[in-house]
Amino acid sequence: MTTVAIVGAGLVGRLLAVQLARQKDVSISLFDEDSTEGENAAAYLAAAMLAPLAESVDASEMVTQMGERSLQLWPEILALLDEPVFFQHKGSLILSYEQDRPYLEDFYRRLKRSDQAQVISSQQIADIEPCLKEHARRFSAGLFLPNEGQLDNRQLLSSSATTIQNLGVKWLSKTTVELDLNSSKVNGESFDWIFDCRGLGAQDDLPKQNKLRGVRGEVIRLHAPDVELSRPTRLIHPRYPIYIAPKQNHQFVVGATQIESEDRRQPTLRSAMELLSSCFSVHSGFAEAEILELKSGLRPALLDNEPKIIHRKHNNIIQINGLYRHGFLISPALVEQAICLMTTTDNNQDLPVYNKLIEVIDK
Amino acid sequence: MMIDQQQDQLNIYGTKLDSRLLIGSALYPSPEIMQASIKASGAQVVTLSLSRQNPQAQGGQNFWQTIQSLGLQLLPNTAGCHSVEEAVNMARMSRELFQTDWIKLELVGDDYNLQPDPIDLVKATEILLGEGFKVLPYCTDDLVIARHLVELGCEVIMPWGSPIGTGKGILNPYAIQTIRDRFPELTLVIDSGIGKPSHAVQAMEMGVDAILLNTAVAHASQPQAMAGAFAKAIEAGRTAYLSGLMAERSTASPSTPTLDQPVWHQPAFAEES
Repeated sequence: MTTVAIVGAGLVGRLLAVQLARQKDVSISLFDEDSTEGENAAAYLAAAMLAPLAESVDASEMVTQMGERSLQLWPEILALLDEPVFFQHKGSLILSYEQDRPYLEDFYRRLKRSDQAQVISSQQIADIEPCLKEHARRFSAGLFLPNEGQLDNRQLLSSSATTIQNLGVKWLSKTTVELDLNSSKVNGESFDWIFDCRGLGAQDDLPKQNKLRGVRGEVIRLHAPDVELSRPTRLIHPRYPIYIAPKQNHQFVVGATQIESEDRRQPTLRSAMELLSSCFSVHSGFAEAEILELKSGLRPALLDNEPKIIHRKHNNIIQINGLYRHGFLISPALVEQAICLMTTTDNNQDLPVYNKLIEVIDK
Repeated sequence: MMIDQQQDQLNIYGTKLDSRLLIGSALYPSPEIMQASIKASGAQVVTLSLSRQNPQAQGGQNFWQTIQSLGLQLLPNTAGCHSVEEAVNMARMSRELFQTDWIKLELVGDDYNLQPDPIDLVKATEILLGEGFKVLPYCTDDLVIARHLVELGCEVIMPWGSPIGTGKGILNPYAIQTIRDRFPELTLVIDSGIGKPSHAVQAMEMGVDAILLNTAVAHASQPQAMAGAFAKAIEAGRTAYLSGLMAERSTASPSTPTLDQPVWHQPAFAEES
């Protein structure tokens, strides 16, 4: 029997638990300071858009590739879960106002695979999203990115929680966790393998050159019965770029600010106004929306804003961190790589190779 | 005559700098790319904004360290401030946080194009100069506002070429040239609107002392390479200015005598051959 500790039950911790618990002769303990709902996880606030192309404007080639890979892996992962999770793969929309058109052109130029984006007219915007018919004339042009998707982050968290418990994983939630990297112990207990998925909680435990910081984000959840938007939609704006991710039952996640700060306060008035007014400008039906939540959180990020797997080979510890704003976008591809480090000694699996992803420490 | 690069330095309130490029720290795809781009630019002055980071609680500490680790002169700015009081408070806070009395004073007068408010700018400049700050005011290209700022004691002013982030270059070369000619001793920095290296060359050829850049580098597809391109452009423009530019003429004047050219070099014959 191989004993495995997973420290941190955010998105990565859960995806690891779901997949490892199905393997033979593996006994898993999942440690987390948070409740099983995962309310303090970055994944709890995330819009869970699966948008490798739109994100490629700022994200690296590696993140783009991992996003493309993950989009294929998500349906397989969801099939392992005991409860359904809303998943959609029907593209996303990029809009800008006529006067901001150069910003849309810049966005297009910076796409890493611009051949996969379709430039569309305001008529086509209305064809793709009929609810924007009346509003579409304000958007003289847009982009349609057909190969993008999204899922429901909250459903994923709760469905994975149920599944993990059904699989017999020992889940110590609301537990103070002490991970000792030198002795390979979690709360005094030894394990054959330890996965450290604590996000910002691991800030002091990564090798020195991996400087981890928090990047603040503010997100709003709305219930808008008057809005029929069916795809993730981004508004390109010089100062208030936002996205609107429609979930089931007329719920919408509107986000997100991105501020280089580890400020943990609730959202500021300025940010709330920017998000809400931009959202309203896309569809006036948001005026009567109920504001369900206004929340802020920190995204764990490394200096290159790319993810990292640190493989401490001598004591079987694998640290996964730096998912930044790309948790749902890349975690399936990331978890696939991490599991491979534990389960195979040779690298002859047919997995993609990401040159910068894994850092091996041998002592 | 050779131009002595050692002698030709940028002067910011008595601090002599070799690079005539001041660079911003916002909008890069990652802090790592920001660091690499700033290094590639050769800039010795880096601007940074505090406005949304909850500086009271040192919210941006971690990010600021990535800028500070470059070991360059910091130029905190008051971006996002709408009133004299806000801007003055932000300046005081940044002096405490970064141990520098340099401040890029920015006061938003219009929310859409972020045009500086010239009236409040002059008021805030007076207060901050009185408190010992070295004020680098972001202003429009208005000669009279420039004069007010200079009379208050500004040794540097930073007029816009065009509004922030537009990349339109110098929209009113006449106005910039006028400020240059009227205040030959003043350190004149073009802040905002520079979109292409050619814009920077144009400004430097006019005798502007330095360029402040951000978006044009940060939003390039290859920010680090673009930073290098701007560094070369600014150097070229400066050298050209110091070398004495020829005056434009309205008639073509060939640089070799035509008298002894064979007749078949004449255009009319060349076309037939």
